[in-house]
Amino acid sequence: MMRLLNICVIVALVAAAAYVYKIKFESTRKAEQVAKLRLDIQRERDTIAALRAEWSKLDNPLRIQDLARRHLELRPIDSRQFDQLQGLPERPPDLVPPDSPDPIGSLLEHPDPPTSSIPPAGRPK
Amino acid sequence: MTATDATPVTSLPAPAPVRTDWRRTILRSLLYGRDVDRAAKTRARLGLAIVAFALGYAVIAGRLVMFAAQPEGHTGRHVTPGLVGTARPDILDRNGEILATDVRVPSLFAEPNRIIDVDEATELLTAVLPDLDSMEVRERLGSKRRFAWLKRDITPRQRAEIYRLGQPGIGFLPENKRVYPNGNEVSHLIGHVNIDNQGIAGIEKWLDRSGLADLHMAGLATDRLQEPVRLAVDLRVQHALRDELIKGRDKFKAKAAAGLIVSVRTGEIIAMVSVPDYDPNNPREALDPNRINRLTTGVYEMGSTFKALTLAMALDSGKANLNSSFDARAPLHFGKFEIHDAHPEGRFLSLSEVFTYSSNIGAARIALMMGVEAHKAFLKKMGQLDRLRTELPESAEPLVPRNWGELNTVTIAFGHGLAVAPLQAVMGVSALVNGGYLIPPTFLRRSEEQAKALAVRVIRPETSDKMRYLMRLNAEKGTARQADVPGYYVGGKTGTSEKVIGGHYSKDRVLNSFTAILPADDPRYQVLIMLDEPQALPETHGFRTSGWNAVPTGAAVIGRVAPLLGIQPRFDLPPADQLILASIVPSR
Repeated sequence: MMRLLNICVIVALVAAAAYVYKIKFESTRKAEQVAKLRLDIQRERDTIAALRAEWSKLDNPLRIQDLARRHLELRPIDSRQFDQLQGLPERPPDLVPPDSPDPIGSLLEHPDPPTSSIPPAGRPK
Repeated sequence: MTATDATPVTSLPAPAPVRTDWRRTILRSLLYGRDVDRAAKTRARLGLAIVAFALGYAVIAGRLVMFAAQPEGHTGRHVTPGLVGTARPDILDRNGEILATDVRVPSLFAEPNRIIDVDEATELLTAVLPDLDSMEVRERLGSKRRFAWLKRDITPRQRAEIYRLGQPGIGFLPENKRVYPNGNEVSHLIGHVNIDNQGIAGIEKWLDRSGLADLHMAGLATDRLQEPVRLAVDLRVQHALRDELIKGRDKFKAKAAAGLIVSVRTGEIIAMVSVPDYDPNNPREALDPNRINRLTTGVYEMGSTFKALTLAMALDSGKANLNSSFDARAPLHFGKFEIHDAHPEGRFLSLSEVFTYSSNIGAARIALMMGVEAHKAFLKKMGQLDRLRTELPESAEPLVPRNWGELNTVTIAFGHGLAVAPLQAVMGVSALVNGGYLIPPTFLRRSEEQAKALAVRVIRPETSDKMRYLMRLNAEKGTARQADVPGYYVGGKTGTSEKVIGGHYSKDRVLNSFTAILPADDPRYQVLIMLDEPQALPETHGFRTSGWNAVPTGAAVIGRVAPLLGIQPRFDLPPADQLILASIVPSR
């Protein structure tokens, strides 16, 4: 009885040790992975920072202004070029009322229509 | 663990004292207890030992669990081993454009005690890095030290080439290097750092002062994960202002030019330019005294701009109104001094005419009417007599006359005899037109609510309305006519002050300024333009007063920045008499 118990305990001990070893190994690997990822992230961040610095150097208004002056026809905007939304002219009236069938479409469907089948050009009164 | 020694005594049943041979009895009872079975005693002791050891192991196990459960706080530091040069937060403008950022660059170092052949190493290194001084390198490599910098900040390509040399005892350390992608554009504002990435001027120094230096000391600020700092400055506006100022400076052959755009409602500094400026990537340029920041480190007699303060004082006191008249028939004699007008009218002028004709005599009479003490108190209230402190470490104390007499009041009334930092004058004028609130200027972002909390009311709102009217009137009829950019309803005041050369006011060396508010009926921004010693040109008909150079420059600036600032152009607005003056509600 006692011997069986002892054997069981020894087996359990070995199993536990193996399991612990496995966990330990796994965690070491994971930790290494984490460290590597951290390093990668750090490198990526550094690269992003360098690229952003580069970008803002290229995006510098002085540089853009020189380029624009050399290659574009554009000139600085004048206050008279702005207008209010109310200043827009009215939208021209539709030649065809919105809910009438498409006149060209109906022409295509009836290749030789009598003139009366064309909906009257609806000018709003 | 020490508990095992002490517990057996106390945890056992207390022995009863025995009368016979008390010493022996006490010893026995202490050791075994009275009438105790030895076997039971041993079992009890064994049990106790088991409990003690079990406790010990439980503690160890518990600690293990705690260690396992805790996040590993110290691994982050191992990510960047040997990183020299501390990280700084990025500095962004109000739209998120980068003004300053950190880039990691390799630096080259040597461990001289590990170098085998000094001559060979020197030769190879100087071949890759031609700008290294071979004598110095040889000396450093030949020394007995264990560490020596060879070159800070090398390019990745140079690093690869040095790697390929295969020399022992030579290595690289990544360092944070501060770069300013916009170069000169924001130089004075941002400041710069030294080789060890410590801020030594401008906002950079302010960053160090406000806690970053302590972080560095603690070794915590090595990572990039610091919150970026957002400033109030707008890079596009800054560029437009600088571009126009440089054009103006070149056109009028001025020694220097400076410009400032602030939000009158919040005190935020949207743009600040002082040319000549320097490239913060090359901080050595900053040592040139000609490149100082004229807006905060210089003090100047602001000339007629100060008349705005004088008139506001009179209007606010109620002793004068817009139609009060002042005698400007003849030059004002004061002791041996004589106050002239630049364009004498030779008659009585109303208060608004004093402003639009920029009459020195009129302003002097107004100040005299108010008296010396009231004048001094008002300027004190407007913050013109004390050093103005902002986030920038550089600031200048105003030059206030020590014995302030009537003559001082007379000259200060039209802006001579009191030298202030231009930023200070801008703060004062902002308070005149924003409804009467004195708001300290800031380089950081600030909302209107925050500004309200900081603001101090210095003049009444009606006075502020009248000042808006006067400023607008000056752009319609007065000296600032050339600044009336169509659509933006600009108001402004010009200032031409003669510079003191060798103790005397010089006639041909002037400092011109132009203060504009836009839009004048409900100001949102104030623009200050300063030109130092502009020259008269044929186009300006030989004049060198502000109206001929600072004002057109200001007009060009306003035309360019107003769309960027989101000011909607309005046309066909009535003149100031109807739009502003008629809407003033008199309070008494």
